[in-house]
Amino acid sequence: MKRLDYLLAISRVKRGLVIFGAAALILVLNPSASFAANTAMAMQQSKVKVKGKVTDKSNVGIPGASVSIKGTTTGTVTDIDGNFSIDVPAGSNLTVSFMGYKPQTIKVTKPENALVIALENDNVSLEQVVVVGYGSQKKGNLTGAVTSIDVNKTLESRPIADVGRGLQGTTPGLSVTLPSAEVGSDPKIKVRGQFASINGSTSPLILMDNVEIPSITLVNPDDIESITVLKDAASASIYGAKAAFGVILITTKKGAKQESVNVTYTNNFSWQNSVKDYNMGGVDALEYAMIAAKNAGSTSVGAFYKVTDEGLAKAKDWEKNYGGKIGSNDPTVYGRDWYVNAAGQKVGLRTYDAYEYMIKKWAPSQTHNLTVNGKSGNTTYNIGLGYLDQDGMNKLAKEDNFTRYNSSIRLSSQYNKYITFNAGAIYSKRIKKYPYTTGGTIDPWYYLYRWGPQYPMGYDENGKELRSPASEFHQANTAEQEKNYTNINLGFHLNLSENWTADFDYSHANEEYNWTRRGIRFSGANTWTGGALRKDAAGNQIYVNSNGDVVASGDAGAMPAYDLVNQVYTSVGSTPDHIYRQSTNSQRNTFNAFTTYNLKLNDIHSFKFMAGMNRVSLIDQNHWGQITSMLDFENVQFGSASGLQTAGGGKSWESQLGFFGRVNYSLMDKYLIEANLRYDGSSKFPTNLQWRWFPSFSAGWRLSEEKFMEWAKPILSSFKARASYGVIGDQTVANSLYVSTLGSFTQSTWLDENGNRIYYVNSPNEVLSDVTWQDIATLDFGFDARFFKNELGVVFDWYQRDTKNMLVAMDGITATFGTSSPIGNFGNLRTKGWEVSIDYNHKFSNGVGINAMFTMSDAVTKVTEYGSSKAYSGWYNGKTYGEIWGYRTDRLYQMDDFELDANGKLQQIVLTSANGAKNAGLKAYKLKGDNPVYQAYLQSGSFMFGPGDVKFKDLDGDGQITDGGGTYDNHGDKEVIGNETPRYEYGFRFGADYKGVDFTVFFQGVGKRDLWGSSSTTLPGFNTADGAIASRFCSDYWTESNPNAFYPRPWDMANSTDAFNMRKQDKYLLDMSYLRVKNITLGYTMPNFISKKAFIDKARFFVSLENAYTWDHLDGLPIDPEVMPGVGLLSDDNYQSGRAGISSPAFKTISVGVQLNF
Amino acid sequence: MKRYLFGVFSVAVMLFTAGCDDFLDRPQLNSVQDSEKYWRNEVDFRTYSVEFYPWFFTGYNSGYGTTYTPLRGYTFNDDITSGEAKQTDFPSVVPTSVSSMRSPSQLLTGDWRTLYHGEMWNFGWVRKANIMIDRTEKYKANLSDAAYKHWMAVGRFFRAYAYYNLVITFGDVPYFDKPIDESDLVTMYKDRDPRGFVMDRIYDDLKYAIENSYLLDNSSTQYVNKYVIASVASRIMLFEGTWEKYHGLSAERSKKYLEFCKEASEVVINSKKYSCTRDFRSLFGSASLAGHPEVIFYRNYAAALVTHAIASYSNGEEGQSGVNLQLLKSFICNDGKPYKVSGVANASDFRMSELAKSRDSRLEATFYNFAHVKSQSLIYCDKFISREGASYWNKISQRPAQYGSNLNENDAPVLRYAEVLLNWIEAKAELAQTYGGDPVTQADIDLSINAIRNRPLDAAAIANGVSKTAPLILATMVDDPDRDADVPQLIWEIRRERRMEFVYEHTRLLDIKRWKKIDYMDNAKYPDTMYGPWVNFSAEVPAYLSKAYEGNLIVRKADGTLVTYNGTNGSQMVGFYKIRKATPRNAYDYAKAYLSPIGSQEIQAYTNLGFTLTQTQGW
Repeated sequence: MKRLDYLLAISRVKRGLVIFGAAALILVLNPSASFAANTAMAMQQSKVKVKGKVTDKSNVGIPGASVSIKGTTTGTVTDIDGNFSIDVPAGSNLTVSFMGYKPQTIKVTKPENALVIALENDNVSLEQVVVVGYGSQKKGNLTGAVTSIDVNKTLESRPIADVGRGLQGTTPGLSVTLPSAEVGSDPKIKVRGQFASINGSTSPLILMDNVEIPSITLVNPDDIESITVLKDAASASIYGAKAAFGVILITTKKGAKQESVNVTYTNNFSWQNSVKDYNMGGVDALEYAMIAAKNAGSTSVGAFYKVTDEGLAKAKDWEKNYGGKIGSNDPTVYGRDWYVNAAGQKVGLRTYDAYEYMIKKWAPSQTHNLTVNGKSGNTTYNIGLGYLDQDGMNKLAKEDNFTRYNSSIRLSSQYNKYITFNAGAIYSKRIKKYPYTTGGTIDPWYYLYRWGPQYPMGYDENGKELRSPASEFHQANTAEQEKNYTNINLGFHLNLSENWTADFDYSHANEEYNWTRRGIRFSGANTWTGGALRKDAAGNQIYVNSNGDVVASGDAGAMPAYDLVNQVYTSVGSTPDHIYRQSTNSQRNTFNAFTTYNLKLNDIHSFKFMAGMNRVSLIDQNHWGQITSMLDFENVQFGSASGLQTAGGGKSWESQLGFFGRVNYSLMDKYLIEANLRYDGSSKFPTNLQWRWFPSFSAGWRLSEEKFMEWAKPILSSFKARASYGVIGDQTVANSLYVSTLGSFTQSTWLDENGNRIYYVNSPNEVLSDVTWQDIATLDFGFDARFFKNELGVVFDWYQRDTKNMLVAMDGITATFGTSSPIGNFGNLRTKGWEVSIDYNHKFSNGVGINAMFTMSDAVTKVTEYGSSKAYSGWYNGKTYGEIWGYRTDRLYQMDDFELDANGKLQQIVLTSANGAKNAGLKAYKLKGDNPVYQAYLQSGSFMFGPGDVKFKDLDGDGQITDGGGTYDNHGDKEVIGNETPRYEYGFRFGADYKGVDFTVFFQGVGKRDLWGSSSTTLPGFNTADGAIASRFCSDYWTESNPNAFYPRPWDMANSTDAFNMRKQDKYLLDMSYLRVKNITLGYTMPNFISKKAFIDKARFFVSLENAYTWDHLDGLPIDPEVMPGVGLLSDDNYQSGRAGISSPAFKTISVGVQLNF
Repeated sequence: MKRYLFGVFSVAVMLFTAGCDDFLDRPQLNSVQDSEKYWRNEVDFRTYSVEFYPWFFTGYNSGYGTTYTPLRGYTFNDDITSGEAKQTDFPSVVPTSVSSMRSPSQLLTGDWRTLYHGEMWNFGWVRKANIMIDRTEKYKANLSDAAYKHWMAVGRFFRAYAYYNLVITFGDVPYFDKPIDESDLVTMYKDRDPRGFVMDRIYDDLKYAIENSYLLDNSSTQYVNKYVIASVASRIMLFEGTWEKYHGLSAERSKKYLEFCKEASEVVINSKKYSCTRDFRSLFGSASLAGHPEVIFYRNYAAALVTHAIASYSNGEEGQSGVNLQLLKSFICNDGKPYKVSGVANASDFRMSELAKSRDSRLEATFYNFAHVKSQSLIYCDKFISREGASYWNKISQRPAQYGSNLNENDAPVLRYAEVLLNWIEAKAELAQTYGGDPVTQADIDLSINAIRNRPLDAAAIANGVSKTAPLILATMVDDPDRDADVPQLIWEIRRERRMEFVYEHTRLLDIKRWKKIDYMDNAKYPDTMYGPWVNFSAEVPAYLSKAYEGNLIVRKADGTLVTYNGTNGSQMVGFYKIRKATPRNAYDYAKAYLSPIGSQEIQAYTNLGFTLTQTQGW
């Protein structure tokens, strides 16, 4: 019997949509007769003509205000002077409204000729409706931590590719970072803190019209009607399983409110220019590398072109003789620019400015948007078309750009009083094209910041392109990442009664991601290998002098000439000699159904009940194929490859189902309470642990409405205190956490005798069978206050978010277990933070309007439960997320710190345990003084601390410098010296308008963020053998003649980031805080009476500067203060081997555009 | 009207909320579950075991990998000296951590303890083997009796091999014969078991494995079989048999292991499948080792699929830290005598060109026959590349791609017959010497050492003036004046044979450790370890007579006096080349040098939970 029920239930569910669709159809075919009767009656009433003017407080006419008969769709719009004329049935109510003003209703009983309706200023109306989860709420009645974004002020006129970039700094608690300047890359978006779960995602849920979208970059900013950010559990919980880390709600534009057709066209043309100078060392970098080499006892240094003492002297001469005279277009000449020395090494003399070769001066962009919006009868519609074309900064690439096409349509048709049908479709195509040079996560930008300035670029004397990062960008074919997103949604809205509505929406989203990589075999004059002697046709050696001129062998300064070997140096079939294509398809089905009932009792008690469900399923499939050994490099196709064929793929699926309910209760509009309950199921957990209940509550008290606050009214317009608490379940983890698997069948590097790769499987992973939801509990206190007739507003929130039962590795496992610990719900994490936003609006009587906005937020995340591990290099109980451990720098050692021998040389001694237990048996240079503190424990290789090296502080006073046991309770002389998460993120905007001229300037910044260097641009001496060194590092380092230098004596770190002089320490920690003039816009709206002549309702022209100016503390280092190591186009965590700031340069933009409304 | 609406609404809500059990049932799809769905037949067991191969039979590794490789991996020993640097020191402080805990998919990306030629404190491979043994037992019903035994043998073989790699690094290690449950802390945190106990378990596993494994698995030479297991057993048992003896542990175990070494070697020898009948260089530089008579197991490489970089490091262009004079001196002359007592002409001429002609043929097969500046000691090893590949050292622009970068295709000999023969003869000699075994006869020497010396010479060697070395005749064996007093004459010669045979391969560091001769790495005690060959700079390496070399280019004359280049005395720069700017390693505690300490963090973790992990002896 039970089984039968179950089967019935299943079949019912599967047929659900069909049955429901049929039922709806029956309803449609039988429209209510009474509805028709009502309409007919209204038609029969007598009409009166009303003429008048809509003005503001200062009696200035308001053009474009809406004047309509209340309760109908009949209405008109005021003209340029604010005048209107309308025929209305006598006794009807006229509603006059315009954005930014309080609407007014006037009863019309007789004809009027000069009715003046003065609207009251209401810049931030408490009556304003904010979109919240499955509904909307009056701003004044909000009890959760919800921020709605002023889309016009925030996004209009900004030359930005996507909404994410536009939101940076505008919303407290919403952190947007731009780790990579690569065009088409996704910004990193977080709500309330950077981190909330070790195995979960920490990413906010981004919903467009209640449907999850994979990336904010697919949205055309021009399509957006409103954006709301739900930050606390109480407001986000209604979205359940994926909303644990905040929700960004994007609502798209709907059709017009009144009968009309509105056409809007906007465009924007912009030019991008690198935000920072390349600023890498030239001859000074060669000198730095040479000193470092000598300090380590070597006589030459360099990857392919060596630096030697002799070479360095000649390079300095070269600079004197040719610097500024020989440019990037001049070929590289043997004898003058490089030579082969006695030891057979190529020595470079000329220094090359890689910027000149590789980075564009100005890269253009353009956007065009067209919107048609209107209403016809009972049908409203909105059609949007958008086009964006943005060039990257790569000068040599065949193609380096990002293009986006958007189209959208929304239709809504009111069939009768009860039913409104909705349908919509969104299509977005994003194409990123870039030069394809490698299959890995490193591109030639990496090498641009790797090889020293003597590494040649451009062409040799024979006109052959020199093998270099530049030539590889130049020769590379184009890789293309194409992302197509299509979303079709259908639904209807039921007006069950005046107070009761229900909504049903189904949406199908299809996302495709195709990545095609067309390879090449690189060729060029091979700079990596030795040169070949240059012979004439008869086979006789050719000699040149130091100007590169051909001379006789006996002449003074004659040297045998060499040429680089011109060859195809990518061997057949090795990367990137192939064609590769990957296709990913994701299909998401979302069904939302909810119903809302409003109940008002005696004007005192007001209830709003909502209940609904949400059902999401996702199927993700991908495959890739590759064939090596291209036969045609012009037309790189699968059909023109002849080598090894490989392929792979995968499939995953997941689903979530949730039921929810919400009750809002308001007592006299003063005491506000909201309660939510959600019952969530997820496919990520074992069957018996799939379902959980998650409750949340919030309450508000509009203190300003109380009698006893009357006295404050002149100043305090309104004040509301809020509190909320709630728990949301998080399931953003892999669906295999509770299943032990052997991995996938994988090709081994072990071949059988016939040369086939043999497949293998891993050993099984260890799992726990009771893995379940993580609980995200948020406690929030806040207030909303407005002062001086609502002109000044302050919103403040303090919150504490706990990640309880966090999925972390089980504690107490040691190496003998043989594998990593199984994952279970053992951890806790807590984020505490605050957010504030202030806004001000004022219109002077002379017509000048000003507005200003300021936001700031901060969050700190700490691990509150994580087993017993103590090592600060990993997770431990009490760890602050992002903390950096290091030493405290005292100063640089000087010569007179050391005891010298009779010859004035440093004395090498062997330390004993008297010099500290960890120094015993180690060598050091003898220091002066009775009990000097030695640092020998920190030495390695041939490095010994001497004059010009860093002297650390002996924080624990034990007479030696050590890291103790590497644990938080035994950390020797190390302590927390900084934190790499952005703190005190802020933004402020100032705007003014007067007679059609508008001006806005927007600043954005980060108050505190630290970074320890990991590249040639961020760490002194990072790899002097490879050679690239930021100019800052090679202009101020210790020598005997420059003892007060900032940086220590040169030493080759050989890619290490925590060794020798550059042990992590406070002095050389980079201060990544910054303040940036993010945007300046100047606009002019043409007087209506002029534009009208061209049948244009509104014409606005604007000039805009993006990233106009930056203040930072990087002392001229060639990196953008927003960079995050490892995050970039080709990888999310290991781009450019995780080295900071060595990719496409960040840019600033100047743009002009026009907005036309017809 | 309203009735309709209510009806529609309630039906819709009901339908969508009812029975959604299967909707949430979406297990992961891409991986193989460890359950009865796997372990169905021999293919599944074989597939599971293949992951062991690239780690335990590394050969030349792959890509740019150098872990467990000749030439680039096994460089910490008394043969090799780096120029322009201090010699790598023995570890002197207890590190924070030496453990490695990797998720199953990351096991192959692990690291090794380069200075010990063994494992990190990593039990991942032990676990993998124990799980294999467990599943073989659990799913026994899916296998025939012979298959059950074979896969049990393979599991136990890899467990033994994994433990051997741990023992050579750490000595005593905790022994586990089954997978550990995550809640069983008492087992997981048990202290180390004594070395002898662990070696006895290894002994048992290897015995079982030899007795029960297939002669050939799946008709392929590329899977583990009886001869592969016996060869590894021969290596492991010789190691431990001599270690127990020379480190004064247990005479009983020493004898037991040496006898097993002999027995395992004889499994291979008596099969008559293998012989030393091709030239030495063909073992390392051949494009294919399929069917090579001396190769018991090899790693196959193929262009575009799996290639390596070890030949590139031998190609005459890439830099090397070279071998030293101490090694050159140990090479025997081709009359079969040490150079000091040899009758060969020019036996005391240490120029590379002359050594090639006067010494055992393996010297010329291992090094270029001239002083090559790309080696810091001027002795450049071209052993791991074909003769053809090595010939491009001075015409790099013409060099085919397969000899550069990480595109090398030559197969790697993982196990070869010569090692089994040398293990066998050493075990036999040790047994005879100390444990009353049968004396070593001339026939034994002919079967082993003399068979190796009698390998044919390749054409290039003959063109370079190389000749075969005379056989070792027990009756007329001459004593080496340089012999250590505590090493008997025959054993001394067997050890020399190993040294010549395995330059840059896996053996040297572990050999001197098991013989308790770690003092060989003391540069102060053995000053020849800081010198290269005899070089006449103005004739052979004129490039070194330039400004950068003034004051740091030094030669040692025959009488021992040192001459430093001062810019004008180029003609006097003739003598033993003092490896430029090489400085000796720090003095080290011999006793401490044999085994690795455990990290302080690991020990602390045990203490925190109330358990004990004993630090390595001497640390």
